[in-house]
Order: sequence, then C-alpha cells, then structure tokens
Amino acid sequence: MKLGYFKTGVAAAALVIGTAFATGALAQNLTIGVRAGPDSIDPHWSTLGSQAEALRHIFDTLVGVDENLQLQPALAVSWKPIDDTTWEFKLREGVKFHDGSELTAEDVKFSIERIPAVTGPMSMTIYTKRVKEAIVVDKYTLQVKTNGTAATLPNDFIRLFVVPKKIGMEARNDQFNSGAAAIGTGPFKFVSWEPKGDLVVERFDGYWGQRPAWAKVVRKEIPNDAARIAALKSGQVDLVNYVPATDYASMQKDKSVDTFIADSVYILNITPNVKETLPKKAKVDGKEIDQNPMRDLKVREAMDLAIDRKTLVRVVLEGLGKPANQLMPVTFFGASKALPEREYNLNKAKQMLAEAGYPKGFELDFACTNNRLPGDAAVCEAVAQMWSRAGLKINAQALNGTVFFPAQQKGEFSLWMSGWGTLTGEASYTYGSLVHTPDAELGLGAFNKSGYSNPEFDKLFQEGQKTLDDPKRRALFEKTTEISMNDRALIPTVILQTVWASKKDSVTFVPRVDQETLAHLITPKK
Amino acid sequence: MLGFLFQRVLQAAAVIVVMSVVVFIGVYAIGNPIDVMIDPAADQKLRAALIARYGLDQPLVVQYFYFAKNVLSGDLGESMVYRLPVMQLILSRFPATLELALSAMVIATVVGIPLGIWAGYRPDAMSSKVIMGLSVLGFSVPTFWVGLLLILAFAVEIGILPSGGRGTVGTLFGIPTSLATWDGIQHLILPALNLSLFKMGLLIRLTRAGMQEAMSADYVRFARAQGLGDGEVIFRHVLKNIAIPIVTVFGLEFGSTLAFAVVTETIFNWPGMGKLIIDSIITLDRPVMVAYLILVVFLFVVINLVVDLAYGQLDPRIRTRGAS
Amino acid sequence: MTGEGRLARFAAFWDDYRQSWIAVAALAVVVLTLGLAFAAPLVAPQNPYDLQALDLGDARLPPGETGSAGYVHWLGTDSAGRDLFSAILYGLRISFLIGVLAGAFALVIGATIGLVAAYYGGRIEALIMRIVDLQLSLPAILLALVLVALLGQGLGQLVAALVAAQYAYFARTTHGAASAERRKDYIEAALSTPLPAGRVLFRHLLPNALPPLIVVATVQVANAIALEATLSFLGLGLPVTTPSLGSLISNGFQYLLSGRYWISIYPGIALMIVVVAINLVGDQVRHVLNPRRSR
Repeated sequence: MKLGYFKTGVAAAALVIGTAFATGALAQNLTIGVRAGPDSIDPHWSTLGSQAEALRHIFDTLVGVDENLQLQPALAVSWKPIDDTTWEFKLREGVKFHDGSELTAEDVKFSIERIPAVTGPMSMTIYTKRVKEAIVVDKYTLQVKTNGTAATLPNDFIRLFVVPKKIGMEARNDQFNSGAAAIGTGPFKFVSWEPKGDLVVERFDGYWGQRPAWAKVVRKEIPNDAARIAALKSGQVDLVNYVPATDYASMQKDKSVDTFIADSVYILNITPNVKETLPKKAKVDGKEIDQNPMRDLKVREAMDLAIDRKTLVRVVLEGLGKPANQLMPVTFFGASKALPEREYNLNKAKQMLAEAGYPKGFELDFACTNNRLPGDAAVCEAVAQMWSRAGLKINAQALNGTVFFPAQQKGEFSLWMSGWGTLTGEASYTYGSLVHTPDAELGLGAFNKSGYSNPEFDKLFQEGQKTLDDPKRRALFEKTTEISMNDRALIPTVILQTVWASKKDSVTFVPRVDQETLAHLITPKK
Repeated sequence: MLGFLFQRVLQAAAVIVVMSVVVFIGVYAIGNPIDVMIDPAADQKLRAALIARYGLDQPLVVQYFYFAKNVLSGDLGESMVYRLPVMQLILSRFPATLELALSAMVIATVVGIPLGIWAGYRPDAMSSKVIMGLSVLGFSVPTFWVGLLLILAFAVEIGILPSGGRGTVGTLFGIPTSLATWDGIQHLILPALNLSLFKMGLLIRLTRAGMQEAMSADYVRFARAQGLGDGEVIFRHVLKNIAIPIVTVFGLEFGSTLAFAVVTETIFNWPGMGKLIIDSIITLDRPVMVAYLILVVFLFVVINLVVDLAYGQLDPRIRTRGAS
Repeated sequence: MTGEGRLARFAAFWDDYRQSWIAVAALAVVVLTLGLAFAAPLVAPQNPYDLQALDLGDARLPPGETGSAGYVHWLGTDSAGRDLFSAILYGLRISFLIGVLAGAFALVIGATIGLVAAYYGGRIEALIMRIVDLQLSLPAILLALVLVALLGQGLGQLVAALVAAQYAYFARTTHGAASAERRKDYIEAALSTPLPAGRVLFRHLLPNALPPLIVVATVQVANAIALEATLSFLGLGLPVTTPSLGSLISNGFQYLLSGRYWISIYPGIALMIVVVAINLVGDQVRHVLNPRRSR
C-alpha cells in the first residue's frame, strides 16, 4: 500500500517539524472545540457519530474510509468474497497496540464477538448483525461467514473498531473511561476523559500510519454554537467544527480566521404520509376531508414543484448547502446520475393541484425537528412559506427531538421533515430503512412510517442486496433510487454543508463528508 | 422542637415518595427513550430487543416497582447513555454547580442587600431610583440573552475573560474548586455574574420592601424617638424583622439556582448538573432524569426544612404551632 | 359600596399614584404598548404570521432597507423575511397575552391555595404546603417538556406550563404573609366572632398578604414573559411561524455574533421596555396600596 512507502519519509519530515517547534511546546498541542463528543471510551458502546469520531483517535477500524466515505485499507489491507456467504480479510502486519503487543486476527474476531455483549441502546450490532461466524485462518487472515449474501459487509466494517483480546469480555465502560482498557492501535493514546468534558490524547509513537503532527490533542466539548464560535474568537481553541451558516458569511470576511467547507452526508427530506387516512385529517376551506390528498402522485409532484431549492440554499442556509434530488450525495454507491435536477415551477404546481381536485389547496400540519441539524427549523418554515404560495396552508411545527422521534415512530405525523445521513456511503443503508415496505422478518423498512410501498422497488432492492458483483449491484440500486424518487416517496430538499473554522494560518486539512474532525489528519500550516 | 423535626422529616419522606411516582409518570409520558436513542439504521427486531432489554415493554407499574426496589437497596440505576451509575454521574457534576451557585448567591447578596437597604432607607433619593431601575432590569431580561451579551462584550469584543468552560481546578483547604486558581476564577466570573443578576434584582426589591415597611413601623419610630442613631436602628432592629421574607425566598432561590442553572450552564458550557439534565432530556436518558429530579426534590425538602427552622428561630410563634 | 364611593377611592388612588412622574411615564408606556399590540393589524405594515405575506428574498435586511413590498423596514427583517417592526408588535401581543394569562391564573390559584392553607392550619396546611414544595421542586423546563409531549406545542400548553411553574411562588408568599398575620390578635378576635370564614379570609388575611403578592406578581408577569423566551431558546416555545417576543429574541440569538444584531436586539429592547414599565407601575401601585405607608 502506498502509505507504507511514504512512512519513513513522512516520519523524517515530522521530525524536522518537531525540532522546529521544539522551542514552543504549544505549537505541538492542538485544542479543538467540538459540538459533541463520545458517550464512552468503549468503542463498541454506541453508533453515535461523535463517538466514532472521537474514538478514531485511539482505535482503528478494520476497513477504512477516505474523506468521501469510499473504502480504503486500514487494519485490513485487502478483502474479497470467497463464496456467496464468506468474506476473507487480510490484516496489516506489524501493527502495534498502545501497550506494545501485536495485532492479530484473534483480536479482530474478539472485537466482532464482543459487540453484542457490551453495546448500548445505540446498538452497534447493526454493523455485525449479518455476521454468522468469524474464523481465524492464520495470524493475519480472518474469514467471516455471513447469514445469506452480504454484499456490503466491508461497508459495515468501517465502524468495526478493533480492541485487544486480552482486555477480556468483562471490560465495560468504566474500565475504558479510566483508561485501563482503552488500548487501541490508533494514532493517539488515551490520557483522560469525562462525560461531556474534555477528551485528552497524546501521540502514539508506534503508530503504523502517518505520524501525527501533534504531541497532545484536547477535544473540548462545546455544544452551544455561539459559545463554540466565541471560544475560537477569544483564542481558547485552535479549531471548531459545525460553524453555523449564520456565522459563516461574516467569518469569511474576518481576517483572524480561516474557514473550511465540505458537503456533508446529511440531507433534509420531506416525507408525505400516503396512508389511506391521515392521523390528523387534511382540511379544505376549514372543513376536514376524509381522503388523504397526498395519496395522489400529482399532489406530491405539485408539492415538490413548489419548493424553490435554490432560494432555500441561498437565503435560508446562506449558501451552506446544495439542492438535493435524491436521498444521498450523487457520488455514493447506488446514487443515480440519471435523475434530473428538481424543477421549481409555481404555476405548474398550482395547475397540478387543480387537476388533482384541490384548486383551493388544503390545510395540513407539517412537523420537523428544531435542534438536530443546522437550519432544520428554518428550512421547515421556509418550505411552508413556499407551499403557501401554491395555495396550500401548511402549519409548520418545529419540535424538539425528544418530542419528534417518539411521535414519528408512533405514526402521528401527516407530513414531516427530518435529516438523514448515509453514513456507510452506499444506498442499501438509506433506502432499505426509509423506503422499503416495512418487513420485520427481513429487517427492512424500519423507518418507513409513511405507508409507501412499491412491489417493484422491493423486488429489485432485495435482489441488489444479494448481488456480490459491484457493477450489477450498483445498477440495481440506481434503479431503485430512480423508482422511489420519481414516486416522491420522500421529497429531498437540500444537502447540508459543513464548515470548520480555525485561527488564521494555523492548521490545514481536507474536510470530510462524514464531518469528522480527526486530529491526525490535521497538520500545522507554515 | 424534636417532635416538630420528626414530623417534618416524615412529611419530607412522604413528599419524596409521591414525587418519585409523579416524576416517573411524567418522564414516562415523554416517550420511549429507545425511539430517541436508536440508530436510524436499526431494524424492527433490534428495536424490540432493546425495548425488552431495558424493560420498557413492561407495564408502568412493574417498571416503577423495579425502580423502587432498586432505590431502596441504594441503587438509583445506570445511565442509558453512559452506562455509569447515575449517582456517580450526578455527584461528579455537583461540585461545579455548587461552586457556580454559591458564587452567584454571594455576588447577589454582597451587592443586593446593601443596595436594597439603601434604596429602602432613602426611597426618594436619585441613587435609589437608579438602583431600583437596575434591579428591574436584573430580573426582566432573559438570562440567556444577558449571557450572550456578556460573552459578546467581555470575551469577544474586549477579550479579557474566557467565553465558557470551567478553568483549571485547584484545591483550597482540601476542596477542589475553581476559586483556587486565577484561571478558574476568570472562567467563573461571567457565568456567576450571569446567574446572580436575577437573584440580585429580586434581593434588592425584597430588602427594600421589607426595609420600607420596617422603617415606618412603630418600634422603629419609637427607637428613633429614643434617640438611637439610624445605623443602630437598622442593624439592631430592622434587619432582624425583614429577615423572614428574605430567608424564605432566598432559601427557595438557592435551591432553584442549584437545580436550574440550566440556561447559564448551557451558554457558558459549564459542566454542572444543569447541563447534565438538559442533555439527559434531549437524549431521554430516563434513569438520569428520574434520579436527578428525585435528588432535586430531596434538596428542596431539605432546604424548606432549614428555611422553616430558621423561620422558627426568627419567629417563635411559628415553631410552637408546628409542634402542636 | 356605592359607585360614587368607588370613584372617590379611585380618585384618591390616582392622586397618590401620580406623585411619581416615573410611574406615570411607565404607565403611559404600558398603555401605549398595549394599545399598539392590540392595534397591531392596523399599525403594522405586514402581517408577520401570514406566510404568504413574507418573501424570503427580504431575509435579514438591515434596519432602514426597503424590501420587495416597497416600504422601509425601519428595524430590519428576520431570517424568514419578516418585517421586525411588525413582528415585534405582533410579538408584544402574544407576550402580553402569555404574561398576563399565566400571571393571572398563577395568582388566583396560588393565592387561594396559600390563603386556604394559612386559614385552616393543621393537617390541611401541612398537606397543601407539602404539595406546593413538591411543585416548586419540579423544573419548569421538565414540566413544559412533559406538557408539550402530552398536548403538543401551542399557546395554551405554554400558559399551562408557566402557571404550573409559577403558582407555587404565589402560594408560598401568600402563605408566608398570611400565616404570620393569622396569629395576630385581631384575627384571633375576628375568628372568635361568628363572622363567616370567607369574610375573614378576604377582608383580613388577603389584604395583608397583598403587598408581598403584588411584588411577586410584578416579578412573575415579567418572569412569565422571560420564561417563555427561555423555553423558546431551548426549543420548547411557540411554533416558528407565530413568533412571540421571546422566540424572536432566541431566533435572532444565533445571528448576534455574526453582526446581524438587529434580529435579536430590537425585540430584546422591546421586551425590556415593556417589562421594566410593568414593574415600575407595579412598584408604584404597591407603594400606594401599602396600608402602613407614612404620609
């Protein structure tokens, strides 16, 4: 692998930089203000994004991803399917844990088996549920038997953190939090952490990859946006993530900070409930009607046509986003390049509503989250405003996540908007959960609460899940993407973009679509 | 006195039992924590398995029974988010909140009571009117807004104080506290000031109201007629008489400061209990919410008890009545 | 009491009240803002709650800019293109409504409970005051969250949450003042005569509890408005499409550091003026009503 050749050279370069900074120890320290941190130092505890982000400093995953969530070697240097239900992973040789012991296939097997025993409510078993058995072939070879064909198993393993077997099955969160069991192969060694407090790590000199530029990294958790920005401006931290759109514009003019911008995997999607009767009936002229207007594809198309996505991006998100035409960024596996950009045409929307039998529009409640993703409530209000131009009376209600999610799960909404991030970088993760007909047996459609069901979609999707051949699977998923998007099963609005900000000329890094801020990929700027 | 105390402790215990039921039902009404916590990629089977694992599929009565059983054996449960004993989690946050609340109360008292006395003593003076005007501002403007203005002014524009977080914690007389280091004190100033403004306003008004009342009372006129100086009258007689409402409200306010420093802690990123409860509400970490609320109730009951006892000391008639 | 007697008493009250020009000015401000709030549909150039009247193209215009509708936004616009002057007038309406409704309900409920407790004493008093303590220990935020979960977000739910959070303060205050009064000789004397209980309660206990109650009431009306803003700040307030002063401030909060100060500052100033004026009026009323005031 390419990185190996560079390793010594980079280490030498780092040494030079190290000497250059030796006079000022401060330059070797990096303090990051992050919006959220881990819930535990146990890497198998939770699937929370901020958890994975923090623990990537201490632990490595079996399969790695680049900044666009495409697979790349990590602890495994290569992988291939041997038959329909077996994957084989070849491990990197000579990888050291922080205590000096060497990584072997036994450790990987242990890590897979440990997950069901220790994981919490945000269960990591979603990434190992397709594993039937892990078999150690030799010190550096692991075979994984799956339940049925699991074409996307390597994508699941980008969240498979590897811990040493010798910590034992008994190790739980407190042993990790105290540092006793917090032994990884990652670029940094654990120093200290407390819930919602600072995570402190220091450089691990025996790291197999590129040597980190920082001797010590402090990740300060500052959830409040304004407070995080203030901490940067007052010089308490070197770098902050999740700069809100409202501050981005002024920061670009600010001479004392640098900004970094990237697309995220998060898209705000509107879901119309297409069940026969709505939980709260629609009204025409103030009178309740029995039928559900959104069962008519024409109505859904009209609602789609009335959304001016460019204005959403330009005005509401102040430029920090892009119009979306499907549920994932177009570079992801299974996204369709054939889908056109969504049209904005108010007259056509009105006309289609009239054709569908609603010349005077209708009235509905529209629920959305107000604290989950940047701009969620503002986009919600703006979309309601746009629909009002088409003659619909939509009552936007921005709800706290604690209220929103249980109500959504109980099916209490007629029309709602929420964010979704395709964290594995491929289609089955998203469409299997949101669009496929709910089927507990197959484990599909768990978050499809709209009543949408299309047999053709379901058939092609299930076929795709069993297809090991990448191009063939890609074609099947592209097809299912097109079917569901043309049906307006969900109406995507905007892709959110993420902004980081640092002190002027202090650091440089490549922003990632998974929004992770990883200290070992950040280097000081000269 | 002992009978009174015993009676009150019994009442307090009853309150805590009732409260635990109310809190349990209230928290239950919010929703299923699994629906808030679960990973969006989880399937139906996993959801059902998780709900069963945390006993959330059981009837509420059964859940409460298990909870009560554990509490009686000294176990308030484990956080669903951190898998740490909730008592440990809450207690680890307690010093930070206590420190913040105490500092705020000290600021409010040291500034508020003298100003209130002055405003009540010379109600028509210009300075008194200014003081009253400021006190009105103190409790009118929402805390979060003042907090942000403070950050904007002192941390960003002038840049002399940090914008948030708790600074270096040192030890003072064996107690870990921010007050032991200059860095810690710097971090404490803005949040403590922010939290104290409301109480300061309240305290100024209460002191002034009591002061004015007392100054027109017969015993004061009498004392003055006897030729006692104003200073002596105030410190000998008036202060004692205006103490009752101040002690009551202050007692209650201290409890609420401790428990609900939520907004200040959120804005200033202060790692206290208030922030913990907001985080727990957001993630529906039910064990933490329930334990926290019960702890808060406990705190209030104790404070009320202390306030009532203080009342008794200040006004013996109340004490005898309580014991009857 | 005859109508003339009432008039005379009111005239006497007014005579006392207008001794302070600040209080008179404050009353004028309260009346003026109340008037403006009521007449908002006539005065405001825009109906900020009508989504069709808003244009996203006008979002975040600084004060003094002319928007697409052709009039000048003297106080600028918010992130949805709302004219802030209009939004403040409409917001005042909602904030007044919330503050007064919550304050009034809390006062009536709280004072009644406190009086009853002080009057009856014994077990009833102990029981009631324990319930009040119980109430005081529930954070307003949790109450609101539970109520919102059960009822949905809206004005009624918000007022209910505020009343639930505030009535206990009135009850405690009334109880404190009334129970001290209850033991005084003249009440004991009144109780030994066959006067009806209601009469003792309202003629003697209530008036004596009144001065502290008025202090608490002014604090609490102002507090209700501020608490509403805080709930909005935490995402539990009114729907985004019908902002109160509180939600305007919290929506603008995120723009403060980026230089768009007007979205948060102007509603904040409006709120401050109103609350300060209410409090000053309350102060003077208390001063005038104080039975032991030296003349």
